[in-house]
Amino acid sequence: MLRKEILISGFGGQGVVRAGQILGYSSILAGLRASMLVSHGTETRGGYVRSQVILADEPVDNPAVERADIFCALSQAAYDRFLPLAAWGLTLYDPYFVAPAAPLPSAHLALAARGLALEKSGRELAANMIFLGAALRGLALIPLSCALQAAREIMPRHAESNTLALEAGYRHCTGEEAGPLGGNGVFLQPNPKKG
Amino acid sequence: MKKLFDTGNAAVTEGAILAGCSLFAGYPITPATEIAENMSRRLPLTGGYYVQAEDETAALHICIGASLGGMKAMTSTSGPGYVLYADPYGWAIGSEIPVVIINAQRVGPVSGITGAPGQGEFYLSRYPTHGGNFETIVLAPGSVQEAFSMTVEAFALAERFRTPVTILADQLVTDGWESFEIPENAEEALSLGLYAPARRVHQGPCFYPASDHIDLPPVVLGRGTGGACSDWTPTEEGYDTEDAAAHMRHAYRLIHKIRRHREIIDRQESYMLEDNPKIVLVSYGSPSRVARSAVKAARERGLSAGCIRLKSLWPFQDQLFRRKAVYMAVELNAEGQLVREIERASHAPAHFFGTCGELPAASALLEAIARLSRGLPPESLRWEREAW
Repeated sequence: MLRKEILISGFGGQGVVRAGQILGYSSILAGLRASMLVSHGTETRGGYVRSQVILADEPVDNPAVERADIFCALSQAAYDRFLPLAAWGLTLYDPYFVAPAAPLPSAHLALAARGLALEKSGRELAANMIFLGAALRGLALIPLSCALQAAREIMPRHAESNTLALEAGYRHCTGEEAGPLGGNGVFLQPNPKKG
Repeated sequence: MKKLFDTGNAAVTEGAILAGCSLFAGYPITPATEIAENMSRRLPLTGGYYVQAEDETAALHICIGASLGGMKAMTSTSGPGYVLYADPYGWAIGSEIPVVIINAQRVGPVSGITGAPGQGEFYLSRYPTHGGNFETIVLAPGSVQEAFSMTVEAFALAERFRTPVTILADQLVTDGWESFEIPENAEEALSLGLYAPARRVHQGPCFYPASDHIDLPPVVLGRGTGGACSDWTPTEEGYDTEDAAAHMRHAYRLIHKIRRHREIIDRQESYMLEDNPKIVLVSYGSPSRVARSAVKAARERGLSAGCIRLKSLWPFQDQLFRRKAVYMAVELNAEGQLVREIERASHAPAHFFGTCGELPAASALLEAIARLSRGLPPESLRWEREAW
């Protein structure tokens, strides 16, 4: 039975829920099942937000992330709080917002999502799509085309910038445009601790 | 089938529209706000009505009024609003008025944490109003797909039994997103058994027969003859009475029209019970999903465990607890509600695993199963047994 756990967390306004929604919908387009739990503070912007996405090939039983395969840390608070859940998985973080633990306790990939989003799509808000693109590549489960279609259907107004951002994030993880900490392919190796 | 990825709230809306709901009255509240929001968008397109009520008491009264006018009506809320339904709820039970109520439970008491799940209204949904002398029907969805299908089923039960039906969900089901499928046309819906009968009109005069019959059309005011539908005890003809013998007949009907047709209401799902496991986890709603994965993990470790998921809560399904086993209720509250009912039904002490405002971890449930199989009590809160 296939089960992948993806945890995305940051602060309100970064598009944490939207990224989870597009990921969930992409997985349906790819013929999988998905669930997403969303928790957040009462603030519209600035508070903490977490979305827990489970992908499976049959109806999802436990909808909570207990062993994240991919952890997207969009803020320092999120990184500090949830890193233990990603001990067996890959942590994606934006060095602009997050100073990672030293020494790194688990597989990490630096993703200059904010910078890449500004550079590729001109919208800082598309940083969530950079993360999503990178996560998709790390998952190696859902074709990028499904995510592009999902993003187009869910956010037609930002179709162009989201497409550019998703593609950039995806490419970043293949090593083509990786920064000094990325592109080492660490997440592409099966993690020996998992199992 | 149309495949969607959306919330339980969206699924409830789709179910209500499919079931022919034509009026929604409510007061928005987290985590059920989206139901009101979606209904306000969808109903006008289907010729229905959305009413923003001044409070929850008014909301259910409006639904009752609409139902008495021949419409299928629904309202939704969470705990703080559910208690305000108490007054009109009794009227709908007593005058046998079909209406569907969604309660997306959050953690309490009072406002508690608005965006966190709870299961504190298990008993409140059994006794949602004062006065006694009635039985209630309560369903409990465990997924978004079920939130959709159960809404249709709730409308069907409300019409057939002429009574309010509560769907007792929780925040993780209503606010949670999930892939689910909905039929694209009536034929597809029918083939899945998703069908809510159309409203029929009672022609009178025997509106409240002293029998346990179901499938009687409800009273529609101004059509047929008579039927006052006040909140007093009715005679069989539907007029007010203060005769104790008439009240006894009425109470008999309110209780036994439901108790005698349990086969239509009872819903449950069992997992790994075929070999009579030593330990049985019992739950409903979203914790049942964690219970299932914990049981799966326990089996992989050679522990003798299974689980029961209740999909209908009231009337309580006593018959499920006749088998000899160590029962453990898994609930989203800290005091234990379902566990008491299990103890009553199984005539034996049961264990309790409660969490407050969040799902239990599957690993913690697995540890509890391991402890139970060694004859030790589970430790969830560490003080639960002492508190009793």
